[in-house]
Amino acid sequence: MASRLVLVASLLLCFLAGTCYGKGGHFSSLKKTLVVTASPKKGQVLKAGVDKITVTWGVNKTLPGGTDSAYKTVKVKLCYAPISQKDRAWRKTEDELSRDKTCQHKIVAKPYDASNKTVNRFEWVIERDVPTATYFVRAYAFDSDEAEVAYGQTTDAKKTTNLFEIQAISGRHASLDICSICFSVFSVASLFVFFYIEKRKGKVSK
Amino acid sequence: MKTEAIVREKASMEVEQPPAAGGGGGFNNGNQSSEEQKFSVPVDSENKATEFRLFSISKPHMRAFHLSWISFFSCFVSSFAAPPLLPIIRDNLNLTATDIGNAGVASVSGAVFARVAMGTACDLVGPRLASASLIFLTAPAVYFTSVINSATSYLLVRFFTGFSLATFVSTQFWMSSMFSPPVVGRANGFAGGWGNLGGGATQLIMPLVFSLIRDIGAAQFTAWRIAFFVPAFFQMLTAFSILIFGQDMPDGNFQRLKKSGEKPKDEFSKVLFHGVSNYRGWILALTYGYCFGVELTIDNIIAEYFYDRFNLKLHTAGIIAASFGLANLFSRPGGGMLSDAVSRRFGMRGRLWALWLCQTFAGVLCIILGLVGSLSVSVVVMIIFSVFVQAACGMTFGIVPFVSRRSLGVISGMTGGGGNVGAVVTQLIFFKGSRFSKERGITLMGVMIIICTLPICLIYFPQWGGMFFGPSSKKVTEEDYYLGEWNSKEQEKGSHHASMKFADNSVSERGRRLNTSTRPADESTPSPTHV
Repeated sequence: MASRLVLVASLLLCFLAGTCYGKGGHFSSLKKTLVVTASPKKGQVLKAGVDKITVTWGVNKTLPGGTDSAYKTVKVKLCYAPISQKDRAWRKTEDELSRDKTCQHKIVAKPYDASNKTVNRFEWVIERDVPTATYFVRAYAFDSDEAEVAYGQTTDAKKTTNLFEIQAISGRHASLDICSICFSVFSVASLFVFFYIEKRKGKVSK
Repeated sequence: MKTEAIVREKASMEVEQPPAAGGGGGFNNGNQSSEEQKFSVPVDSENKATEFRLFSISKPHMRAFHLSWISFFSCFVSSFAAPPLLPIIRDNLNLTATDIGNAGVASVSGAVFARVAMGTACDLVGPRLASASLIFLTAPAVYFTSVINSATSYLLVRFFTGFSLATFVSTQFWMSSMFSPPVVGRANGFAGGWGNLGGGATQLIMPLVFSLIRDIGAAQFTAWRIAFFVPAFFQMLTAFSILIFGQDMPDGNFQRLKKSGEKPKDEFSKVLFHGVSNYRGWILALTYGYCFGVELTIDNIIAEYFYDRFNLKLHTAGIIAASFGLANLFSRPGGGMLSDAVSRRFGMRGRLWALWLCQTFAGVLCIILGLVGSLSVSVVVMIIFSVFVQAACGMTFGIVPFVSRRSLGVISGMTGGGGNVGAVVTQLIFFKGSRFSKERGITLMGVMIIICTLPICLIYFPQWGGMFFGPSSKKVTEEDYYLGEWNSKEQEKGSHHASMKFADNSVSERGRRLNTSTRPADESTPSPTHV
């Protein structure tokens, strides 16, 4: 019995220890070398499914020449501002990138060509599954091993400036409303019909 | 001996009354010379089935079983239809963790009082009408889930939908009315367990229905709304079935039995009094809060827990969460059957010990569940935990039918309500807002299970004993215990005869002991049908 307990305890310890060591990069080790802009102005409210966001990204021109030689792909993402992360553990910011949930909506992923000096641009219609929240835009640069090596974002380090809002679709339709009401009325009415039938049966058998 | 003879005479007299008094049963139509109503399963003196044939739909016993578990299943599906879709709903309605926690509490708190009320309603109008009414009245809440657009409206629909969980009480009451003491544990266990299955099935059904609708072309935020029509409609269908095909008691429906005088009308205040004044009902309410209440809590949080902690897809998290509730297929009935088996050898004392051991071990497993960090170990621990916690639920209702005969409904309602109180309290303390991480909350919940299971040691039946003490040295009999609920005036009127019959049938709870000195000298067999 005691040996079994020891076995269980050691198994538990191994698994717990395993979770401490994260695989993959950390955000704090990334270099901020990309310059990213997004079309929404500070405080602007956009509608999901209707409005567009134009994002641009490129390496910071003031940095030395070979900085971006290792970049193979760039992924641009829509990220939650701290106010939309409050009391919502499923959007939490973690330093370990594989566990980080700050940026959950992909805007675009494009291959990166270091020799092309022009700024990359993309126009995105906000998808209908984007929830109502406050956002900023961040771009990650990946190397050939598909590991993050650099990033850039439209806001400052504390994520307080240049934030914009998106208004989600409600998902409701008039037809759904009508169906709900009809079926509910039917349900309650059925109950009364049955009561009436039972009462009549009771009277007849008397 | 004399009272026995009178009881048997009365029983045969009642049985010979015109068959029109009964709504079902396979007895000869119009043939009044038959001595007994013919049922397709063997029955005892109260016409309750002494065998439980799972795959039969014979009237009225097994039919009642299937109607009650399917309707209860549908209520569970509806009440827990939102949790597996929460990752979508929380984005659509912009919910915070606090909103979600509050709604989770609301979903199980409505049924606290609804269950007690349902218990009394069953005692007064019968399980058939009581349960169908509740189901029809809560279906609108499920339909209206499709049109909500805020945290408040989300909370309200979950609150009102949760009322339907009170059908649990009518299920247990119906089974206790249709099945005899030696099999009542398993009947209650299967009905309760297969109903609770809905909490697991919904974690599979809802994500599936949602993806189907979304793949047809609806936006995510519309697809989940349409998906809710499925549980709502199913729930309504079951209410229709109960009213059309069901029957309250082996001899017929309450209304007709009351009018023909076979079932004397009881006083609401007396029924309530004898229920709430029985301390065993309160203890079982507390302990049920920490097996069933825990089960409800897990139904509410587990899909999100796996989705968030292990970064799974919605579908995968749903499947894992479902396996918790799906274990109910065999674990709760298993608990009921184990309770019956233990009772054959050790009587009521065996039932109490089995419950305490099973539930305490479930608490230990819950502590471990919150501590493991690997996905596969987590799933394994969760499944073992689910088996034990659900078996404990089944065992609880192997004991409930014996606490009171007159106020069976109230005791069932109190215990059932207690289950929901446990869910409310647990979610309020450990799973509201962001105070504890979910894994920490689960571990602490395990500790609370162990503590709140200890009061089982205090349950004592003078005629059978308790965990640590044998039956009373004053040689109290089953009749003394159950007739103690009726005063002398009521006994003169003859209102207590059903309790007498039950007392006779419950002698099986003494277990098979070599020491027969506690049995009255004139009774050598437990079966009262021998003359």
